[in-house]
Parts: sequence; structure tokens; C-alpha cells
Amino acid sequence: MLVEFELIQKAQAGDDAAFNQVVLAYRKRILGTIARLIGRSEDVEDVGQEVFLRLYYSLDQLRTPEVFEPWLYRLTVNASYDYLRKQRRRNEARMSDLSEQQVMMADAAAGGKVSTEQDRRNNVKELVESLLSEIPEQDRILLTLKEVEGLSLKELENIYRVKENALKVRLFRARQRVLSAYQALGRKTGKQVVGSVK
Amino acid sequence: MEQWNNELEELFAQYKSIVPDPDASPSFMPELWKKIESRQSMVVRIRRLTQVFVAAAAAICVVLVLFLGVPSSDNFGVSGTYVDVLAEIHPAENLTPLGIRTDNE
Repeated sequence: MLVEFELIQKAQAGDDAAFNQVVLAYRKRILGTIARLIGRSEDVEDVGQEVFLRLYYSLDQLRTPEVFEPWLYRLTVNASYDYLRKQRRRNEARMSDLSEQQVMMADAAAGGKVSTEQDRRNNVKELVESLLSEIPEQDRILLTLKEVEGLSLKELENIYRVKENALKVRLFRARQRVLSAYQALGRKTGKQVVGSVK
Repeated sequence: MEQWNNELEELFAQYKSIVPDPDASPSFMPELWKKIESRQSMVVRIRRLTQVFVAAAAAICVVLVLFLGVPSSDNFGVSGTYVDVLAEIHPAENLTPLGIRTDNE
């Protein structure tokens, strides 16, 4: 926990200064998670504000401060999912030429056309985001929380309020789809994408 | 297969370092509070509107109860069923000249 339970209790009781402190404590972490979940840096703050707005209006429903973090993650997941769903149409338009883009990004990430370190990082970022766009938004979020954010199954169980086995099945399927897309890409480019990214 | 799995894991790990936790802009908190306040005023407006609606509905209910509760002058003093009222208005002896036979006869 980044804050004391008492601070959360004060915020629950309507203390705006305490709420401010809670936001300041979690802001950076939540914005980072959102950035990796939605993949669009320009909208991260908007989604982050939506998360804390929802927190402000739902804080009184929180029964015990011990479950505050899973609660905050759940709000983050929901706000990110809502955002991704709204963006779906735009993404679908981009998907039409995605495979071509993916090949170019994988090629670039492998070092072929990369001129600077920043370009290479951008290409890896875009490659991961395009691979994640191959799966439905909900699975994308779940997989990112597990594989990128490094949350344990127990933590995910608390966030999603779903049994561990159900989560394992969803994660396995999502990962398999991403893996297939990645393998297909590797075969097209004929290179190890990650090998030269190190 | 194992190699692909490892590569994918590595790719995810790199992604986390490539997309670090960003610093919020200075306008983050003021904008957040602006959004909270605008939502609050909307909630207050909706609450007021709901109160007005409930009060109006209650007033209409009271008016309807009064209207239905007070007996009208047309049926004032009338009691019994429709058949009883008809029998009262048209006694059996008045019906005989009209050729209508009653059970009593």
C-alpha cells in the first residue's frame, strides 16, 4: 500500500485533502498502467482522470481499506476498457493494413531499418501494441496486467473477482493468439524480432 | 515453440521499460477537480429535478385521491347494487301493465 489506511478512511469520510493525497500517491503508477493498457500516450491523462473521478464517487462503497488497491485497479481496468471500446472503430480502420504495418515494424525492430535507439524503441512499442490489438480488448487488458504489469494470478483474482482457473484459461487463450501472430510475423520477416532488440 | 514463448516474454518485458510510468502534467489535479465539481453540480441538478418530480407526483396523487374520495352529487345516497336500484325505481306493480312478469307473480 502506498498510503495509510487512515488516509483512505478520511477520504471515504469526505475529506478532500485526504483524497488529494491518495491521488498524488497512486497517480504515477496508475498513469503508467493506463499507458501500457491503452497504448496511446496522448489520452493517458484523460483516462487517468476518469479513474480517479470514478474513485471519488465510489469510495463510499469500499467496505475495507485493505482491498483499496484491487479496487483501484478494477476502476483502471474498467476505464481503460471503456476507452479501448470507444476507440475500436478507429482501430478497425487501422486494422485493414495492419499485417503490412506489422511486417514493417517487426523488420525495423529487428534492426533492418533502424537508425537510432529511439526509433528501435518506438518500433518495439508499436510491435507489441499491434500484437495486442489482435485479441479482444478485455483479453488485451488481462494479458497486459499479467505479462507486462507483472500482477500475480491472486491479484488478478481480486481485481476481476473471477476464479483462478477461469483466469488461467482466458490468459492461455489470449497468449496463444498473440504468440501465433508473433510467430507468423517472425516467419514473414525471417528474423528473430526480439533477438536484436536487446 | 519454447523459443517463441521466451521471445514473446522478452518483448513484453521490454515493452514495460519502453513505456515507463509517465509524470502527470501540472494541470492534472486542477482538471480532475474541475471534472469532480462539474459531475457534482450535475448530480445536484438531477437530485433537484427528481425532488420536483416526486413532489409533483405526490401532489397529483393527493388531488386524485380527493377527487375520487368525495362522492359526486349524481350518486349521492345511492346504495346497493345496480339491480337493487332498478328494482327501486321500477316497482314490480308498474311492470305488469307493460306485460313484464316478475318472479314474485
